[in-house]
Amino acid sequence: MTVEHTGVDVVVVGGGIAGASAAANLAFNGLSVVLLEKQETYQDIVRGEWIAPWGLREAQTLGVEEAFGLGGAWEIREWTQWDETVDPAEAETVDMTRFVPGVGGPMSFPHHEVCALMAEQAEDNGATVVMGAQRAHVTAGTHPEVRWTHAGQEHLARPRLVIGATGRGCTVGRQVGVSMATSVHHWGGGLRVTGLDDWPMDVQAMGTEDEKMFMVFPQGDGNARLYINFPTANRKLYQGPEGEKRFIADFELASLPDRGKAVYSAAKPIGPLKLWPSVAMFPEQPIVMDGVVLVGDEAGNADTVLGTGLSCSLRDTRAVCEVLTGGDDWSPGAFEGYLAERKFRMDRLHFGADIIAKLYCEYGPAAAERRRRARGLMAENFAASVTGLLNMVPPEDVPDFGFSEFFAERLFRERA
Amino acid sequence: MSVKDTLLTGSAHVNGIDIAYVDKGEGDPVVLLHGFPDSHYLWRHQIDPLVEAGFRVIAPDLRGFGESGKPQEVEAYDMRTIVNDVVALTQHLGIPKAHIVGHDWGAAIAWMYAFLMPRRVDHLAVLSVGHPGVFSTPSIEQRKASWYMLFYQFPGVSEQLLRRNGWRLFKEIMGGEGDHQRYPRELAKPGALTAALNWYRANRSPESELRVEANFPPVLAPTLGIWSTGDKALLEEGMTGSVKFVKGSWRYERVEDASHWIPLDQPEIVTKLLLGFLGTEKAAAVPTRRRRL
Ligand SMILES: Cc1cc2nc3c(=O)[nH]c(=O)nc-3n(C[C@H](O)[C@H](O)[C@H](O)COP(=O)(O)OP(=O)(O)OC[C@H]3O[C@@H](n4cnc5c(N)ncnc54)[C@H](O)[C@@H]3O)c2cc1C
Repeated sequence: MTVEHTGVDVVVVGGGIAGASAAANLAFNGLSVVLLEKQETYQDIVRGEWIAPWGLREAQTLGVEEAFGLGGAWEIREWTQWDETVDPAEAETVDMTRFVPGVGGPMSFPHHEVCALMAEQAEDNGATVVMGAQRAHVTAGTHPEVRWTHAGQEHLARPRLVIGATGRGCTVGRQVGVSMATSVHHWGGGLRVTGLDDWPMDVQAMGTEDEKMFMVFPQGDGNARLYINFPTANRKLYQGPEGEKRFIADFELASLPDRGKAVYSAAKPIGPLKLWPSVAMFPEQPIVMDGVVLVGDEAGNADTVLGTGLSCSLRDTRAVCEVLTGGDDWSPGAFEGYLAERKFRMDRLHFGADIIAKLYCEYGPAAAERRRRARGLMAENFAASVTGLLNMVPPEDVPDFGFSEFFAERLFRERA
Repeated sequence: MSVKDTLLTGSAHVNGIDIAYVDKGEGDPVVLLHGFPDSHYLWRHQIDPLVEAGFRVIAPDLRGFGESGKPQEVEAYDMRTIVNDVVALTQHLGIPKAHIVGHDWGAAIAWMYAFLMPRRVDHLAVLSVGHPGVFSTPSIEQRKASWYMLFYQFPGVSEQLLRRNGWRLFKEIMGGEGDHQRYPRELAKPGALTAALNWYRANRSPESELRVEANFPPVLAPTLGIWSTGDKALLEEGMTGSVKFVKGSWRYERVEDASHWIPLDQPEIVTKLLLGFLGTEKAAAVPTRRRRL
């Protein structure tokens, strides 16, 4: 016996940032929405916890920004660019609060708490939220179909449209024939810690030393997310029982003030250490078809080193929600604007991510020399730091020249 | 979907407002009054032990907080009005006399309740906030600690600034203390932030209320004052100096390793202090009531 859900406008499969924000917005606008999330309750599955100001702007437009603040988000105001090629006392600090009008700096937050609040908001707005939805199966077409099971019961809905938002697993995409090309530049590890009482909570760090690109993202109250990106060959470095200890100890860095004592001698883990390949994904077929639209990581994503995956997911959601709440045409043609904007955006993000990864996530003397030169160039001409803007403002607001081969070539040119 | 943090058992329309409350247990009644920006939930570690020790526990959400009514006008938060909420609630519950326990603004209410309504008070226990008469002029240190109370005065503006950028300023003021993760979620409910700030707007700060009145009637009830060494906003003298205003017996306890939120940071100590104190002493002689001719 299958339970059939009738009168459903949209089924959203996957309740991450992309899916939950879509459900909240569509339900708020009066559509009949079912949100399917496979987790029983939201857990820390290690996703992005740093959101750029331009992503927060998207959240505001969607009406879901409060979920960040209430879910424990902390605004970070300054970014100090420590690095092995600079004396710690001379590292430059950027004020991050002024890039996007009406939004402050980026925010650092516990991801699963924010998803839970967004799903709750969707429910309050009238959506049906199914936690623990298993075996979701989507059939595309002008009359799409979604089947799933919940607590042993089979369910079926024939909505007008399915939004695929299952993330990097691309479950819906695979069911409707969208495959991904992938590339991996390096690996990364992340750990949530507490006890950083001597680390300024206003300041985030990013820099490279030896074979580590390190990041400290404060979450307020002595808490922070620590990340290290490292060469793929080192991916066993933090495995095993003492992995967390070694990970924290690796924040003893000559690049940081006082050799990073405020971190390595104080940090206590408050979450699991997770290691992952920093993967970029490129869809090989169109992400919009009859009855199905893909958003978020499921639609392809740039290398996580940029920290723009969340912002992209919200941008996708916003574009798709605008079509669904703006008129009656939900045919693939109605999403042309979304496709064009996404292509433009991802081209820029992939280009920028390549530059950032090459600059900060390659290691050894030659790479350090490259960073030193690039830094010199940026000091000489501020425009050379154009790629860094991708973290702060939306890709279309970054000046064109930052995406030219000419610029990349200049930035990386060996000394004549 | 999320666990709602509530132990409430009922709600009553009294003194012109809906007041939600916990009413649990049988025996001598104890009224627990929370402060800013809490609710009855502040007392979650004390309620059951008190009930098990044979008390009837009444813990309201004071107006403006939790599930109780949230008028948006500043005037609705006059201290006397709030004292009357407590009077009306206890009357509604058939309680002529109770032990009164308060923390933060709840302590300010408890003090006032005690000297205005001596016959309705058995024992008085006040946490963090001393008698309003202690500081006639706040010290610089006291002012510095409470700068945000001034800031809270600007209607509309402070609401916006506190919420901006993911409640950043509110989080900065609150630090990692009390139920700091819960507060923004509570205060984000419709009208809740304005209602909570109205306590400050109507009364400035817990310890400055009534300063203008030169003479406070003495507190006749046996009184226990509790202050914590980790309190960043309130000074110890505020509590110890309260002795001059208490005619009943006076006991003072300093609690270590606790922020301003003593019932949360040292739950067992608070429970033990209350159990060892409530109902143990006699009140100072109540002045005999003159009969009108
Ligand atoms: C380690 C790491 C660090 C990152 N750091 C950053 C960062 O700092 N900043 C940034 O902006 N981005 C970052 N990203 C990228 C960012 O996390 C993603 O771009 C973003 O989470 C994508 O959101 P999403 O909703 O599309 O997918 P996801 O977050 O993956 O959510 C998918 C949801 O769908 C559910 N789901 C999956 N399959 C099914 C199914 N079959 N049925 C029902 N539900 C299903 C999952 O349980 C999950 O809740 C990082 C990513 C990783 C992995």
